[in-house]
Formats: sequence, C-alpha cells, structure tokens
Amino acid sequence: MSLAQYGFQKLVLLNSAGYSRAELPLDDSVSIIAPNNTGKTSLINALQFLLILNKQHMDFGAHSPENTRRFYFPYNSSYILLEVLLPSGMAVIGCVGKGLSHDYEYFAYQGSLDLDDYRLQNGHLVAQPKLISRLFECGKPAKIYQQADLRALLYGNRQKQRSDDPDLTIFPLEFTSQAGTYQRILTRTLRLDRLDSREVKTYLLEIFKNDLQDRSVDFKSEWDKNFADVNYDKSQYDAVFRNKPLIETMENSQQTRLGLRGKIIQWRPLIEQGLNDWEAHFQNSSIELQQRFESLTTEIGTLEHRQKAIFQDQANANIALKEHEKKETRYQELTVRFQFVTDGTQLEKQRQALQEQRDDLVTRIKNAEQHQSSDAIKRNIAKIRKERDELNQQLTNLNDNFYLQLQKLLPKSSFDLLTRLLAKSVLSLSVTEGNAIDLHDKPAFQSLIGVLESKLSGNLLKLPGFSLDISALEANLTLKTAHELETEIDDCTRQLSALEKLLQTVETLAQQKQKQTGVERQIKALDNDIQDYQELVSLKESESTRLQTIAEIQRNIAGLDQEELTLADNKKSLAAMQTSLKTEQGELQSQHQRINAARHQRLDQQPPFNFLEQLPSLPCMEPAVLVMSALADQIENYNRDCQKLRQIDDNLSLQLSKLHQEGVSKFQTQDSAEQELVALFNYTAQLSQEQASIERKARSAVVQVAAILRDLRNSLESFKRRMREFNNKINRRQLSDLKVFKIEPREEDALVKAIQTLISTSEQVDSGNSFDLFDHNAVLDDKELNKAKDLLIKEGEARGSLRVEHLFRLVFIIAKEGQEPAEFEDIDSAASNGTVLMAKLITGLAMLNQMQDPRKQIKTACYLDEAASLDQHNQRNLIETAAEFGFSLIFASPEPQITARYCVPIGNVQGKNTISRLNWQILEAITAENQA
Amino acid sequence: MTIDLKQLPQLHPLFKLLSSGAHLNRLQDSELWVELENHQSQYETLFAALGFSLVLDGRGYAYFKTDQASTYTGKLTRRLALLLMLLFEYQADQGLHLFQFQQWQLDTPLINKLHIHYHAILEAEEITSPQTIKEILDSAARIGFLVLEDGVYRLQPAVHRYLDLFQELAQAERNDPMQTEDDAGDTL
Repeated sequence: MSLAQYGFQKLVLLNSAGYSRAELPLDDSVSIIAPNNTGKTSLINALQFLLILNKQHMDFGAHSPENTRRFYFPYNSSYILLEVLLPSGMAVIGCVGKGLSHDYEYFAYQGSLDLDDYRLQNGHLVAQPKLISRLFECGKPAKIYQQADLRALLYGNRQKQRSDDPDLTIFPLEFTSQAGTYQRILTRTLRLDRLDSREVKTYLLEIFKNDLQDRSVDFKSEWDKNFADVNYDKSQYDAVFRNKPLIETMENSQQTRLGLRGKIIQWRPLIEQGLNDWEAHFQNSSIELQQRFESLTTEIGTLEHRQKAIFQDQANANIALKEHEKKETRYQELTVRFQFVTDGTQLEKQRQALQEQRDDLVTRIKNAEQHQSSDAIKRNIAKIRKERDELNQQLTNLNDNFYLQLQKLLPKSSFDLLTRLLAKSVLSLSVTEGNAIDLHDKPAFQSLIGVLESKLSGNLLKLPGFSLDISALEANLTLKTAHELETEIDDCTRQLSALEKLLQTVETLAQQKQKQTGVERQIKALDNDIQDYQELVSLKESESTRLQTIAEIQRNIAGLDQEELTLADNKKSLAAMQTSLKTEQGELQSQHQRINAARHQRLDQQPPFNFLEQLPSLPCMEPAVLVMSALADQIENYNRDCQKLRQIDDNLSLQLSKLHQEGVSKFQTQDSAEQELVALFNYTAQLSQEQASIERKARSAVVQVAAILRDLRNSLESFKRRMREFNNKINRRQLSDLKVFKIEPREEDALVKAIQTLISTSEQVDSGNSFDLFDHNAVLDDKELNKAKDLLIKEGEARGSLRVEHLFRLVFIIAKEGQEPAEFEDIDSAASNGTVLMAKLITGLAMLNQMQDPRKQIKTACYLDEAASLDQHNQRNLIETAAEFGFSLIFASPEPQITARYCVPIGNVQGKNTISRLNWQILEAITAENQA
Repeated sequence: MTIDLKQLPQLHPLFKLLSSGAHLNRLQDSELWVELENHQSQYETLFAALGFSLVLDGRGYAYFKTDQASTYTGKLTRRLALLLMLLFEYQADQGLHLFQFQQWQLDTPLINKLHIHYHAILEAEEITSPQTIKEILDSAARIGFLVLEDGVYRLQPAVHRYLDLFQELAQAERNDPMQTEDDAGDTL
C-alpha cells in the first residue's frame, strides 16, 4: 500500500455500540473475526453515521432510530471516528454523543487520528462539551458541523460549503446531485441482504440520470397540447364539412343580403322623397282625372242626345219606307194577279153572270123549298118523260107507225075501234121490218079486224065472255103534225128539265145552298177583285212617284245608319276612355291606399336599417329611378326587400346558431356575426386547403410529440449503452463460477414499438419523399398511429407520466459454466448464497464506482457478511474487484479469512467488545524477496 | 408488516380479477398493473395471508398461483396448451421469433390454417372445427391469455407461462437426447 493511496485509514469507536474501544483498519481488505452476534455488523453500521449522515438514508434493520442512537451514543463521550487520507492531507471525521438525549453531533478536523487526543490524563475520555477545546489544545482545530454541512463537505458539494472549510471530500461524485442515491446504494452495500432487480433499476436510473434526458413525459397532455389545435381544427373542419350544404345556402343568403342592403341603401332616399311628394301628386292627379272624366261624361251626353234623335228619324223613315214598300208589293201582287185582265168591264161581266147564276139558284131553291117532295117530282118527271117518249115515238113513226098503217088499211069504223082499243104506244110503234110490230100479212089482218068489227054492235063490242062499251074509250091517238109534236116534245123536254133540276135541287138542297154561298162568295171575291183592280189602276198611276220616294227614304236611312254607327263608335271610345279614366282613378286611389299602408309598414326606421350604411353591402348596379306612378309598387318592393332582409338576418342568425350547436365555433371570436360569416364562407370555400393545412398541422403535431418520444427513446438507447458499459465493468473478473453475469434492460415491446410507430410516422412526415404517399393516409385517420397513441396515453395515465424507466425492466442474466443463460428478476433465486452475495456486492460497488469522479479516487470501504460462504479464489477476486472500484473489502466471519490483508479479532474486556490495533494481524504474501 | 388498506385503492378489482383465475396483463390493465407494481410487497403479503400466492412476472403479467385445478380449467388448460404449442410450432416453422408472440395476429385465416395443418392432433382433443378453436381462444381470453381486438386475437404476456413450459420441455429433451420415448412420456 502506498501512501499516495487516498482513502479510509481507520475506523475508531469509543464507548459506542457495545465497544469500549475499537480500532479497525480500513486502508485495505479486512477480515473481522468474531462469533456470530458479537457486534461485527454494529461496527460496520457505525460507518453509516459518518458516511450516510442523513438519518433517513441510514438503515439499521429492525432497530428503531431511538434504540440505535442509544446503542451508538450512550454517553457524551461516545465516539465514532474515521481517519481519511485525502489529497488535502489526513483528516478526521467524527461523531460524538451528547449525553442523555442520545443525540450526537459531527465534527471534523484536518490531521491524523490520535486516540490520545480523546483521552484525558485521568484515563477518561473527553466529554463532548470539552471536545473542541481539547482538540484545539492538541493542535487540531476541529469544527462542529451540522449534519447537512458535513454531508456537503464529504460529498464535495461546493455550493453548500463555506470558503474557509477544508476540503473533506471523501466521495468525489461526478454529480453531487447523486449524493442521495450514492448514500442509498452505500447503505445497501453495507447491508446486502436484499437487492432485487427493481432496486437495481432504480439506482441505475439514478446513476445514469445525467446521461438520460430525464424527462417525465405526460404523454396525454403532450399529445393533447400538440393536438389540441389540430383536433380543434379537425373538429371545426368536420363540422363545417358536415354542414357544407347549409353553409352554402347561408352563403347564398349572405350574398342576397348584401345585394338587398345595397338596394335598400340606394332606394331609401328615393322612397323618402317619393313619399314626401306623393300627397301633392295624388291630389293633382285626382283632380285632373276627375275633370277629364266629367268632360267625357258631357261629351257622351251630347252623343247620346244626337243618337236618340237619329233613332227617332230612323224609326220614322223605316215606317215610311215600309208603307211604300207595302204599296209597291201590293202593286206587284196585283199586277201579277190581274195579268190577264185587260180592263174592268171584263170583271163586271163575270160578275153579271155570276149574279144571274145566283139568282137562278135562289129561285130554284125557293121552288124546291115550296114544292113537293122529291117522289112527286119524280112521278111527274116519269109522266112527262113518257109523254115525251110517246111524242118522240109519234114523231119518229110519223110516217110508218102502226096508227097510220091501220088508218090506211082499215075502214074508218074499224080503225076507230082499234085506235080506241090499242094503246097509244102500240099505235105509235113503227111498222118497219124487224120492229115490234110486224105487219107481214095485211089481208089476214084486215079479216081479223073485220071479224072484230062484226062483233061490234053500236058502241058495244061483244066478245065472247065480255062486252065493252067503247064509247067510254077515247081514241088513243090523234095524229098530230110534226110541228105539233115537236113543240109538244119541247114542252115536255122543258118541263122535264125543269123538273129534273127541281128534283136535283130538292135532292141536293144543301148542296145547292152551298153552291149558292160559293157563288155569292165568288161574287164577293169578284167584287174585291174589281175593287183591287181599281186599286191596281190607281197604284199603277202612282208607281214612279212611289219608287222615287222609296229610294229617297232608303238613302236617308243609310245616312242615318252611318251616322249612328259613327256615333256608337265615338260613344264606345268615349266610354272606354271614361272606363280607363275610372280605372286610372281607382288605380290612383288604390296606389294611395297601398302607399299609405306601406308607409305604415315601413321597417327601415328600426334596426338594422337605421345603421345599414355601416354594414357591408354590395352597391346596387341597377339604375334606380323613382316613378311617382309606380311609387306604390316601388315602396312595396322596398318594404318587401326590407322584410326579406330582416328574414334573411333572422334566418342567418338561426342558421349560425345551429352551426354553433353543431360545433362550428372557430369564427365566434370575430367581432361580429357578419365577420364570422365571412370568415366561415372563406373557410368553407377553402375547405380542401384547410384539410391539407390540418393535415400539415397534424403532421407537425406528430413531429412535436415524436420529438418528445424521441427523447424518451434516445434515453432508453443511452441507458442501454450505459448498461453495456456497466456490464463490462462488472464482468472484468469472473464472479464465482458464473460464466455470465449481466444486468440487462428488457424493453417493454409494445410501448417501445408504439413510440417507434409515432417516431417513424413523424419521420415519414418530415421526409419530403414520402409526403405524397403519406398524403393518402391522413395522419388523423392512421389506425396504427392512433393505437400507438392510445397505448401510450393509457400507460401514461396509469403511471402518472411516461418515463424512460417505464419502457424497460431489468433482468439479471446469469449462466454458470456449461449452462444456457437464464434471466432472473430477483438475483437471490438465481444462484448459490455466496455467488448471490458476490453478485450483489459487485453490482453495488460498480454502481457506486459509476457515480464517483474517476479523476479523484478515494478508497472507501465495503462490507461482506458471511464471507465464509465464499471460497478463497472468489474472495481474492472480490477483493481485487472491490479495489478496482475503490473499496476496501471488509469480510465478517467467525473464522479468519486469509485472503484479507488484515485479520482483526474482536476481543472482550470487562463485558465490552474491544478491538485493539495490537491485535491486528497483517497478512502478506510470501514473495521471493520477502523470503530472501 | 403493517398494511394500510387505504394505500391499496385497487385491492378490490385486483382481487376480483386475480381470484377469478384470470391473468393481469401489463398493458391491458395498465392501471391495476402499476398499482400492483408500486405496492408489490404489500399485495404479496396480503394475498398470501388470504391463502393466495401472487406471482408477478416482470415480463408483464400477474396471477394467483394455484395447485388445484377444476375439471373445466383442467380441460381448458390442456386444450389451450395444445393449441398454443401447435401455434408456436407453426409460427416457428414460418420463421417467426417466438418471443415476439405478442405481435402475432391470430386471425381467422391463421386459425383455419392451424386447423387444417394439425387436423389430426386437434381431432384427438375433440377440436373439430375452427369454431371450436375460437371458442377455446375466447375462453382463454376471459382469463387473460389473449385479447380479442377487431376480430383478431392477440396473445398476452401471460402466455409466457406456456412458453416457459414448452421451453423447459424442449430443454429437457435436448439435455437427454438419448432418452427413450417412453421415458420422455413419463417426464411429460
């Protein structure tokens, strides 16, 4: 051991932990020899007061802090002292009991530890109150330190040191902030009963903290923070997209609204002016119309008057015309009727004849009415006819009739007789051949007649059976001359015809009477005719005059008709004018009413019309000219426009609030609803760009989040790298029979993969090459990405935050010779007791060493109980390894361990443990030089 | 050791889950897992006092170790063991790394392939159709060996229990290459 080796020199306990005095060398490996339960561990644990200092980090197992204090500091002269060789020289750190309270305080000074300094001349130990002055007397100006101050000194925390403090840095840590961890591990290495992978992990994380970007990632809040905008934008985009039809309708409404505003602004002064002028216009127009109407009425009256006169004239003329025409017609008729009448006498004659005929009829009828019946007349007729026939026969047979024959043939007497006997008709028969009488034998006849005459005696003719006085008989036929006969015949004929007529008349009395009537009628007709004829004659005479008159009248009528027609037309047109005037008046009136109504319905005095000019509008391009006659329409249109505008206002406001309900809130911050709408429409119009921009934002958010995750992943990688170094460190020497002893991080695959997914997504986003490809697979809809995100959020929420230690766990990988490496989480179960002890110790020392400043090696101590369970080979290895890490190893066992440099037995004096340097046994290898 | 039950807010759900024979998987039940991790020793002690042996495997699963098995779980365990073994064999044949089993997607095509490929073996266990396989997987999902997401089964870390067993068996076989088949059967 060279003096240049800085580090612990010795530990001294005075009146403490059951030791009256203990001096333990610490500048090299030590084997404390004592039976079990004799205070080996207490001795080592005493170091905690000096090295750990912080009560919270000290560990005395099952003992309570009070008991521990009482045990270590029973008196105010109880001391725990440590001598250290530092680059600044030898130094002593001490802890002294304060007495009854079992409290203690720290002191330190530069200089070597000389036990005489603490012993009074009477052999008693220096009590705490006098310690500082005593040490000062001994030339060692000690200082009392607060625990925290001393800790700052020991762990080289310059910031907490005063400038006049000596440099007492025993543990030159690379990072003084790791003092706490160092202390905890140191405690553990002093007491290696329990060290599992989780603790190792915790320590290693502490140790490597400065290599890791020590970030506690609240992934959810990071994600939410980065995606807040994106999600908000996306929700806005979705809401707008969902309501696009509505928004388009609204945009149209807005356009209409702007137009309407322009129109209303343009029309408003005109309407004002129009309404002001209207009353005068209405009055004037009314009067004018009324006047025109009245003048038309007068005109129409005149026309009507004239028309009446014409009608009268027309009627008169027509009557006259008809009269003349009637005459003419009469004339024509008569002309036709009397076409064959040459003059009036002809007719007179006819009348005469008829008159006679009638008279005859009258006579006959009268006779007939006076005379017998028809039978008597018929008998008369028969008689007369017979007479006439006889006469005719006589006339016919005047030359050869039977009478004459008889006259010629017969004597007078006979003749006379026969003429009396024979009937006249027989006598008048013709005697010509072939007739009734055939006188073919005249002599026979004459004889016969003679016979007959014989029978005649006087006037008496006697014939068998009868006699006849012929005197009673007249001669039947007296022969008359032809002339006589003819006259007689004529008479007969006349009588006959008269009788026949009479008979006829009697038999046909009704007929005759009728006939009489007919004849009388004829007569009357003829009388008419005669009258008519006379009329004809007079008409004929007036013909030319008449025709002239007719023509004149017709001309007159035509003239009247013409005039009437013109008049009617005139009147019609006047009436039409009047009607139109009436309509105009009505129109005017209705306009007036409408205007009045519209005037009251005007909305433009109310908001928003009274500040319409301040609102955005489209200037109206149509020329606006106020026409008084159209004022009603215009004002109504104007009112309608106002109404419509208000309607649109209401609708838009409703629709807007509907959109708000739908979640479109992006533009609500605008100063007015109007600007909100404009912004909304602009946004909607550029929806695809917005989508792209959201996508870009999403990507940049992914990049942001990924950057944080990348830190995590990098930390994980750094940690793994440091772990490899650490493994190298603990594997420099083989531990026991372990072929492999490693502490390796095992990644939590799912989490690391999720992180990787996010990072690689962000890398895709970053690299322009795959931008297009990426475009098709929108970040926000990436399933894999979302899953990774959800996993990390879930994990982060469960753990409060996401830290690098959540991404892995540590396993001990152990393999003995000829075995496959196996992973263990708890090293205790991995191997035999001794091996496990070694592994723990090495791990602990390596960790402590890891924290120390490699430039300032100050050798401290570590402790291994039950050292007997290790063989010497392993003990040596362990000692060397510990030395490499800057530790002197303290073995504790009932038997001496000869691998150590010092063997220190614990003795007992008056019931108190004691270790005196006089009992130290220093072992040194026998070298050739030594032997020599 | 004094256990303050107020410090263990998730005791009820944890106990309910674990005592039902289900496995707690690290990422599936993050909250419970973290709770268990943070208070591991308390829970171990508490459950031990109740007669349950809590096993918390750092690979991401926890369960109550029990030696008793009901006939049902016995049958399910046997069938699931068979299925998983076949699955591991099949996937190994496909060149997939067994330890990445959590990334496998056990979907219908894969189940059908398994069914066709190991028809005869499955038949012996009365697993006659892909539907039966799914039923077994569903049952396994209920006790935390798998999880069904979007119609796809994913193996959970608890499957390490089976995988460890398979590896042990494989190791045993490798270490004793000369052992006869009968002996191997006895070992199993």
